[in-house]
Amino acid sequence: MKGQEWYQADDVAEAYEDKRFSGGGRLIDDREKRAVLDAIGPIEDKEILEIACGTGRFTAMLAAEGANVVGLDISTPMLQQGRQKADELGVSGVELMRGDAGRLPFPDNHFDTVFAMRFFHLADTPRDFLREMRRVSREQVFFDTFNRFSTRSLYNWMLPMGSRLYSGTEVKRLLRDTNLDLAGAEHDWIFPYGFYRQIPGGIASAFRRLDTTIGSTVIGDRLASVSYWDARV
Amino acid sequence: MQEELMDILCCPVDKHELELEVDDREDDEILTGRLVCTECGEAYPIEDGIPNLLPPDMRDEAPA
Repeated sequence: MKGQEWYQADDVAEAYEDKRFSGGGRLIDDREKRAVLDAIGPIEDKEILEIACGTGRFTAMLAAEGANVVGLDISTPMLQQGRQKADELGVSGVELMRGDAGRLPFPDNHFDTVFAMRFFHLADTPRDFLREMRRVSREQVFFDTFNRFSTRSLYNWMLPMGSRLYSGTEVKRLLRDTNLDLAGAEHDWIFPYGFYRQIPGGIASAFRRLDTTIGSTVIGDRLASVSYWDARV
Repeated sequence: MQEELMDILCCPVDKHELELEVDDREDDEILTGRLVCTECGEAYPIEDGIPNLLPPDMRDEAPA
């Protein structure tokens, strides 16, 4: 698993959100949260498991919307950030734990929704992880991927740990192999995340408008660097 | 962790039930203790209120 050690460091965990989701990165945070809310909604009273919940950006948000959420991550420092966030928001219905995404400590068919954001680009055996997510879900599995044929390929080499990129065909094959049905997919971000993180919020908003304009044309989906996949058991 | 989490947790390795042993608690919140598999006997620690359900082979290679 990529990032296994990287995310265990206290300073990495503490700086994680500032580094990724301030300035232009805020647009990424907003879009990801919307993707999760749209896919899972209505949220209230759902039993949800988040794989690789990290600092709990989605865990806390979903609990605030009335879901019972379990957040699982490999890193204690990241989970401590998550605990703090849930406490600050004063939300109940959040349980955080350390665990291995490949061997989940839950019985079959337990959750309404199992999802993982920014996880599959770190996964060395995506098929095993997806199969395990499906096992503990009775209805929905949701995740994102970074796309092989996109601007993501160009900047990937700059990242500290690299990341695994997927083509649409590959994801569909993974779903078929794990007996999941694709219910919906959205493709976005012609300019990659790293670009938005490096520019101030105002300029980022202008680029984001251009990005979504191109994205809504016929070639948009093919140029997108990120895909959000909504699958059913 | 809340005690009611016991309803859904199982051993990550063999998926059998876990038994809760509490060292320190605050109302329903378990702060320190362990979860012991009723089948294989593996003990999963709870520290600072966060249960560690990493399988034993990963617990060693992923400190913190």
